[in-house]
Amino acid sequence: MSNLTAKNYSRLTRKAVPGNKKPLWKRILQQRALILMVIPGLLVVLVFNYFPMYGVLIAFKDYSTRAGIWGSPWVGFKYFENFFKNPTTPSLFRNTFLLGLYSLIWSFPAPIILALLFNELRGKRFKKLTQTVSYFPHFISTIIVCGMLKEFSSRGGLFNQINALLGNEPVSYLLEPKYFRTLFIASGIWQSVGFGSIIYLAALSGVDQSLLDAADIDGANRFHKIIYINWPAIAPTTIVLLIFAISNIMGNDFTKVLLLYSPKTYSVADVIGTYTFREGIQGQRFEYTTAIGLLMSVIGFVLIVIANWVSKHVSETSLW
Amino acid sequence: MLIKSWKRESFGSKVFDVVNVTFMIILMVIFVYPVLNVIAISFSDYQSIAKGTVTIFPQGFTVSSYTYVLKDKMVYYGYGNTIAYAAVYTLLNLLLTSLIAYPLTKKDFVGSKFVTVFLTITMFFNGGLIPTYLLMRDLKLLDTFWVMVIPGTVSAYNCFIFRTFFNNIPHELSESAYLDGASDYRILAQIILPLSKPLLATFALFAIVWVWNSWFNALLYLNDQYKYPLQLILRNYLFVIDNNQLQQQAGVATSVNPLMQRKIDPKGVRMAMVVVTMFPIMMAYPYFQKYFMKGVMIGAIKG
Repeated sequence: MSNLTAKNYSRLTRKAVPGNKKPLWKRILQQRALILMVIPGLLVVLVFNYFPMYGVLIAFKDYSTRAGIWGSPWVGFKYFENFFKNPTTPSLFRNTFLLGLYSLIWSFPAPIILALLFNELRGKRFKKLTQTVSYFPHFISTIIVCGMLKEFSSRGGLFNQINALLGNEPVSYLLEPKYFRTLFIASGIWQSVGFGSIIYLAALSGVDQSLLDAADIDGANRFHKIIYINWPAIAPTTIVLLIFAISNIMGNDFTKVLLLYSPKTYSVADVIGTYTFREGIQGQRFEYTTAIGLLMSVIGFVLIVIANWVSKHVSETSLW
Repeated sequence: MLIKSWKRESFGSKVFDVVNVTFMIILMVIFVYPVLNVIAISFSDYQSIAKGTVTIFPQGFTVSSYTYVLKDKMVYYGYGNTIAYAAVYTLLNLLLTSLIAYPLTKKDFVGSKFVTVFLTITMFFNGGLIPTYLLMRDLKLLDTFWVMVIPGTVSAYNCFIFRTFFNNIPHELSESAYLDGASDYRILAQIILPLSKPLLATFALFAIVWVWNSWFNALLYLNDQYKYPLQLILRNYLFVIDNNQLQQQAGVATSVNPLMQRKIDPKGVRMAMVVVTMFPIMMAYPYFQKYFMKGVMIGAIKG
C-alpha cells in the first residue's frame, strides 16, 4: 500500500489533473517502464517502415552503395523522364489501368450482392453452411489458386472438360491474351467474394427489425425492403471501401500477375508492378524503379483525394 | 415453423427464395468443385489423368503421386521453415503489439500522442518495393532467418485494435493490482493478457495463416533453397520445374526416368503437392473460421 501517495494520484484516476501536472522529465522518469515497453515495437516500425521512406530519395539520385543514399549525387527528374520516354510505358499504363478498372467493375460489387443475398436466406443452417463454404477460398494461397488455374486451363483440365461438354475445341486459356483478364479477375472473385461479404453482413446485422416489420405493414415487398432499408444500411461501408478501391485502381496485385503471365500474354498482362519487379530486382535498376514506385504512390494519393472529395459532395460520406 | 411462415409469403417472394437458394447451391459447387477436383487428381493414376476424365472422384486410386512428393526432402525443409517462420513471427507480432498497445491505454502516458502519430503515418505512406529491398540488403538481412520474421510484425492497425480491446478491460483490475505493488509488466502479463485470450487467439490465427500463405517476400529476400518456405517449394513444382525436370528430379532419387517407369503423371504430382501444402489449413478451417469472422468484425466496428 506504500505506493498510494499523492504522487500517484493522477495515474490511479487515469486523468491528467490540470494544474497539477509534473514537469515532463519527472513524468518520463516515473513512466520509464511504460516507455521501455513501446521502444522495441517502435524500433521495428522505424527501421522497416520509415527507413524505406527515406530511401525513396534515390529516385532523384545516381545511387551508389559506397556513397550511400545521402552522399549520392542529385540528378533531378532524370529517371522520371526516362520512364516517360520508354516506348513500353503507354502500354504498361494501359494494362495496369484496364486490369484495375475491370477488377473494380466486377470484383467490387460482387461481395455486396452476395451479402444481400445471404441476408435473404431463411434457413439458419443453410445460411451458415453457404457462408462457411464461401469463406474457404480466402485461405487458399495465391500460388495454389494460380496453380489450379494453370492445371484447369491445360489440355484435359477442368475448363477444357467443360469445353468438351459444350462441344468446343480445347483452348490453352492461360496462353491466350484475350482470356487473361477474365481469368485473373474471375479467380480473384472466387477467392475473395465470400470473405469480402463479411464486412457488409456486419453492417446488415445493424438493421433495425422494427423497420422491416413496419415496411411489411405498409405493404413493401422484399425487393422494396432491400432497396430502401438494407441498401441504405450498407451504403456508408460501401462508399468507404469504394474510395479505397478507386485509389488502388493502378495498384493491382502484381504478384499474382507474376505467377500467371508469360511472354505470350505480356501484351495485356504486363503491368507497372511486374515491370518494376523485372527491371528493379532482376535488372538492378534501383533508382529508375524507385522513381516509378514513387510516381505510382503519388497517383494513388491523388486518386484517393479526388474520390474522397467527390464522395463528400455527392454522398456526404468521406474518409476525412 | 419455417415452412408455415413461408406458406404465407406472396408468390413473388417464393419465386425469389427458390431462385436465391438455387443460386447459392450453384455457388457452393463453384467454390468446392475445384478443390475436390484437385484432390481427386492427386489420388488418380496416370492413365486417367492423361485422359482428362477425373472429376471429383479419383479414378484408378493410387497414392504414387504422394509417394513422389513425400520423397522430396525439400518438402520437409519447406514445412519446417514455414512452421518456424510462423511461430516466431506470430510470437513477435503478439508480443510487440501488446507492448505498444498497453501504454496507450494509460491516459497520462507521456508518449501517447507521439506513438499514435508515429504509427498512423505508416498507414498512409510507405517506401515501396525497391527501397525496402535495398534496406534489407544494406542491413545484411538477405538470406537470413530474420528477414522472414521481423518486417511487418508491428502494424498500426493491429496496435489500435489491441488498444481498443485492452481499454475495454475494467480499469479497476489493473488499478487494484497497482495498489498492491505490481509493476506495469506484471499487470500486462498477469492481468491484461490472460483476459485478452480471444483477441490473442484471433490475431495469432491471422498471423499464422498470413505466414503460411505468403511467398513474395521469400522470393525477394531468399536465395538459399534450404531456407525456402513451403509456398516457394510449391511454386517450384507448379511454375518453375517443367515435366522433364520433374522426371529428372525423381531420377536422381531412384533410377532412370522413373516417372515413366513408375507411371506417375506430372499433373498428379503437382496436385499432390498442392494438397500437401493446403492440408493443415483445410484440417484446421472448421475450427478457426469463427475466429476469423470475429476478427473481421472487430476491424469493421473499429473502422
